[in-house]
Amino acid sequence: MPFTRADEMADLALRRVTASGAEYGDIRFLKSTSQTISGEDRRIASIRDVEDSGFGVRVLYHGGWGFAASSVLSLEEIPRVADLAVEIARGSASLASEKTRLVEEPVHRDRVATQTRIEPLTVPLDRKTTLLREVMDCVQREPEIVRSSASLWARRDRKLFVSTEGTRLEFDLCAVQGEFTATARYDGRFASRTFSTPHLRTGYEMIEAADFMAHAPLIASQAVEKVKAPAVRPGLYDLVLDPEHLALTMHESCGHPSELDRALGYEANYAGTSFLTPEKRGTFRYGSPHVNLVADNTEPETLAATGYDDDGVACQRWDIVREGLFVGYCTNREVAAKIGETRSRGSNRADSWGSVPIVRIANIGLEPGSASVDELLADVKRGIYIEGHGSYSIDQRRYNFQFGGDAFWLIENGKRTHMLRDVIYHGITPEFWNSCDGVADRRHRRRFGFITCGKGQPGQSGWMTHAASHARFRRVAVIKG
Amino acid sequence: MSTANAKTWPKLTSADEFRFLADLVLKRSEADHTVINCHDQHGGTTRFANSRVVQNVDTRRGTLTVAVAFDRRRGSATTTDFTAGAVQDTLDRAERIARVSPEDPEFLPPPEPQVFPTPLTSRPETTAAGPSRRLEYANEAIGQCRIENLQAAGIVSSSVASVGIAASSGLFAQEERTEARFSLTVQAEDATGWSAAAHRSIDHLKIQDRTLSAINKAKRSRDVQELAPGRYRVILEPAAVAGLWSWMLWTLDAKSYDKGTSPFAGQLGRQILDERLTLQNLPDHPDLLGTGFTHEGLPSEDSVWIEKGVLRQLAYDRFTAQQHKIKRIATLEAPCVSASGPAAFKTQELIKRCERAILVTNFWYIRTVNPTDLTLTGMTRDGTFLVEDGQITTAVRNFRFHESPLRVFKQVEAFTEPVEAVTSETGKMLVPAMVLPDFHFSSVTRF
Repeated sequence: MPFTRADEMADLALRRVTASGAEYGDIRFLKSTSQTISGEDRRIASIRDVEDSGFGVRVLYHGGWGFAASSVLSLEEIPRVADLAVEIARGSASLASEKTRLVEEPVHRDRVATQTRIEPLTVPLDRKTTLLREVMDCVQREPEIVRSSASLWARRDRKLFVSTEGTRLEFDLCAVQGEFTATARYDGRFASRTFSTPHLRTGYEMIEAADFMAHAPLIASQAVEKVKAPAVRPGLYDLVLDPEHLALTMHESCGHPSELDRALGYEANYAGTSFLTPEKRGTFRYGSPHVNLVADNTEPETLAATGYDDDGVACQRWDIVREGLFVGYCTNREVAAKIGETRSRGSNRADSWGSVPIVRIANIGLEPGSASVDELLADVKRGIYIEGHGSYSIDQRRYNFQFGGDAFWLIENGKRTHMLRDVIYHGITPEFWNSCDGVADRRHRRRFGFITCGKGQPGQSGWMTHAASHARFRRVAVIKG
Repeated sequence: MSTANAKTWPKLTSADEFRFLADLVLKRSEADHTVINCHDQHGGTTRFANSRVVQNVDTRRGTLTVAVAFDRRRGSATTTDFTAGAVQDTLDRAERIARVSPEDPEFLPPPEPQVFPTPLTSRPETTAAGPSRRLEYANEAIGQCRIENLQAAGIVSSSVASVGIAASSGLFAQEERTEARFSLTVQAEDATGWSAAAHRSIDHLKIQDRTLSAINKAKRSRDVQELAPGRYRVILEPAAVAGLWSWMLWTLDAKSYDKGTSPFAGQLGRQILDERLTLQNLPDHPDLLGTGFTHEGLPSEDSVWIEKGVLRQLAYDRFTAQQHKIKRIATLEAPCVSASGPAAFKTQELIKRCERAILVTNFWYIRTVNPTDLTLTGMTRDGTFLVEDGQITTAVRNFRFHESPLRVFKQVEAFTEPVEAVTSETGKMLVPAMVLPDFHFSSVTRF
């Protein structure tokens, strides 16, 4: 339980919500403990230890939403906030030209906890700072490395969700991540290379298994090679994209357009809408038959696999794109009804106790194919192999995108040859995914995720994991960045 | 809906209460140096889409951060729980961290006490505004759009925060800051128009004017043509100018400059932009979101960063400033870009002067492509038009740009006086609309 007497406080709040005549209400208590250790240029620049706790009450009154939240946890504050949520919902209802309706969800009573071997927040701090300093020292031994950075992050969320429908869910969730970067300077320009673990719901054992020190010399030497590499010559290239890189490409060009609230216009003023409008579902050719994009919020260790979302809906697995055809959306209990679905996909999430849940991208991944990476490369005469994340930008309907990367190698006659710099590729989402003619097999599958996916007003950060094996795309437009 | 909530909002941490909390921490701290930051905020947002309210929220969040140092070993801890036990626990956590942290060669003790400026950071009308006022404004924008048979999506938000810093050096500062925001995207079938505002005073959001502006843009965007990518003369409206300038502001840090990993490396004291352009910090300006002090306890004062195109100032952290023997660190919370010489009265005058140009309302999803020369990419959004013979002749499909502000702002053809500008990706600024003769659009999207 995140707080003592949380059940009593939940009962107090939801009684008032029910008494108001509201058709639905829920309360979330959340206590988040996070630790971020950041190193810069061989020194530990900051250690931040944050405890963020509070509660939020959500009310649906006559088809209008209200939400109020507070970091003050007391028996006096609970009724104030609950009453305020009701009053705000009444105001929304007074302007509601269309009443919000929630699709049905079974009542759940459950407890969900992340399985960890080494609880990340109990690992001695000096062990972590020593690792970061050693890895920064290691990369800066390379003479042309002028800057270094390294960080470790961990968070534990203890949450209680209770609804007027009788659902009661307790959560104790962990997540960890680590990374380091080397920056090289040469001939008036500079370039960076980064090693990063995924963000996953697991323990510190993932950081230990990542073995930063084993990777540090290679990362440093690749930063130097990258800054000295020839700039890419613009033109059409075949691309072979590694799983970490693909995570971002999928996130931006498939994940966001598959959020149903965007497709229905809820984000028109900020994050944007979607070219995947509801009438395209089941008929629109999003990609080639090699492209199978599956949302899976049930895969252990992934960020969106929390058992239940913030609507109290159980996590699920479903198809977004099947053999190239667009077939499914990420939904919540509100928007699912608008396209005739009878159950939410369980993708409604808030980034804190003080935020109202909104539709978020699920753990959308590219299903493995049958080739090996060598086989994907072997059939490329002139191409580029891209690893990691770099520049990224996409229009507000998710058509026109542009991506860089962290490291680039020229492919000539089926072999990776030397590094390139300043590689940027751009295209139109469905044209790009229709140019995919091969996906590597399950042996190459890896997972990467994001905890800073921006959406909503006020802005919120979404968490999700994207898994993929390497994939090949034909004749993609490349320019010099 | 009644306005009763405005009266029953919980009282935020006052200056006296913050001093009491800070004294409690300072008295109990065993560290050599202790700094306490408080940010206690209450605010809400009414969000609408498809001309109806889809989200209506109100949140009170107080955070207290305690940072301590034993010699050069540092640690910090934050809590949202202001009860005595939790504050003690936060201090204990910070001390535990500091005791096992490695020495930081860049550690500096907290700043000495000083007299801070007292700009008008809080407006009572914003403090008093609650859910009903936000809903009233949202309804006003939605109603105007309904009259035109257009869809409205946007937000109205208001907040008040009590912000304070205290340190074992005797440093103490506290002020109340209010902020109100409005932004609106009007949808006319496939076309969109946009407008936005941010101000200390909720009375200054100009809901009606901005709604009409967004409506006009959406209506003008209905008939759209596709132009080929390439180099164009552009008329950038203030929001578009702010989008590009923000990236210059964010990359002015002195440490990167010293290490040679800044796009400005070697340019201090040199002409980097058009000789008529000046960038200043104006914390007292009533239309900017100036503050009296920064999170580090530095005073926010007037300063000149780029003077007639010459780079005069960098963003120093305290350690780098000490290395350079800089006593007063310039801050940039309230940026104003101005241009000297005859200015056009309004963007409309710039349009009249152009034989052929692309008029850009706003940019979206701006990101760095090449940090060495600050090449950026991004999309035009919510109103992109072709100007021919001094008039808007058609809307055009949105372009992706691939361009460095350090290149394009070297030559400015014409400009207006600086006006308020804010976007979803930038802070509030004062900037002119500008005509730039050579701007690279690298591709076109489908709408």
